[in-house]
Amino acid sequence: MTLAAVSKTNDASLRVRKSKFQADLAPSEDQMVRALKVELQLSSNSEFLSDALTLFRWAVSERKRGHRIVSESASGERRILIFPRLERVAPEINLPRVELDWTEREYESFAELALGEPAEPTEALIQLMRG
Amino acid sequence: MAVTIRHLEEFDATESFDCGDEPLNNYLRRHAWNNQQKSLIGVTYVAVEEAAPGTVLGYFTLAASSTPRDRLPKKFVRGLPSYDLPMILLARLAVDQRFAGRGLGRALLAEAFRIALQVADEIGCRCIVTDAYRDKVGWYAKYGFVPIEGAIEDGPQEMFLDLRTIRKAVQNL
Repeated sequence: MTLAAVSKTNDASLRVRKSKFQADLAPSEDQMVRALKVELQLSSNSEFLSDALTLFRWAVSERKRGHRIVSESASGERRILIFPRLERVAPEINLPRVELDWTEREYESFAELALGEPAEPTEALIQLMRG
Repeated sequence: MAVTIRHLEEFDATESFDCGDEPLNNYLRRHAWNNQQKSLIGVTYVAVEEAAPGTVLGYFTLAASSTPRDRLPKKFVRGLPSYDLPMILLARLAVDQRFAGRGLGRALLAEAFRIALQVADEIGCRCIVTDAYRDKVGWYAKYGFVPIEGAIEDGPQEMFLDLRTIRKAVQNL
C-alpha cells in the first residue's frame, strides 16, 4: 500500500501549493493503518496522516521540554514511553556549552555566592514556581 | 490567552518579534536557530499562543557553562573536588512589547528554572547565571538573583541564583 496525503485549501483564490507525501508500507504496517483508520473512523489517508502528525508533534514537543510521556492504568500503574528518536530531542542532551569571560573580582564574588550557604527563596520566587 | 513554551522551530515567525531592544530582536531573528541547530551554542525556548502556534511572543536561551576551579580564590575551593563548577547560563530573555505586562516574562523565567532543575537532576549543576541589563537588575533580584560584584561599570550585570534556592522554593509549595 502507498500512503499518500495532499494538503489543499477550499479557497481556490489562495492557490496554496499542494504537498504530497508518499510512503511504501510493509504488509503488516498496511494492516495496522487500515485497522487504525477503522477504529478511529478516519475516512482518508490524509486524515490519518494529519492526526498522526499532530500526535507525533505533541510527543516531540513534550520530550523537548524534558517532560516524560507516561500512560497510567486505572489502578495507577504507570508506564513511561521510551522511544529512541524522541530521546534525541530531550533537553538533557541538548544544552550546549559556553565559555565565561569574567574579571578576577567576578570570579571571587561568584565563589562567595556559589560556595556559601544558599539564600532563602524570595516570596516572588516561591509564587513563581507555584505557577 | 493560552500560551505554550517549547523549543524554537525552524519555521517559527520571528521576523515580526519586537521586544524594543534591537540586539535581542536580532538574536532571535538571525542567530537563535543557527546557534541551536548548527553551532550548538544555545537552546532557545519560545512562548507561543495556541491560536497562532508559529508566532513568537517571547523567548529565552539557555546554555551550559562552568567556572574553572583554578580561577576561584583558594580560600573558597579548599576541600572541594578538583573539578570545575557546572552552571547554566540564562543567556537571553525577552518578551514582545505588544504582549508585555501579561506575565509572559515571569512564565518564561519559571520554565527556565524548571529546565535548570531538571538539568541539575540529570547531569549535575550548581547554579544559574545571567547577565542582566542594568535596568532589569531589580526584576531579576525579585526572583532571587544576586548581583556578582566586579562587572565592568557600563556593561551588563552578571547575576547569580543558586539552584538549591530554587529547589527550596519548589519544596515550599
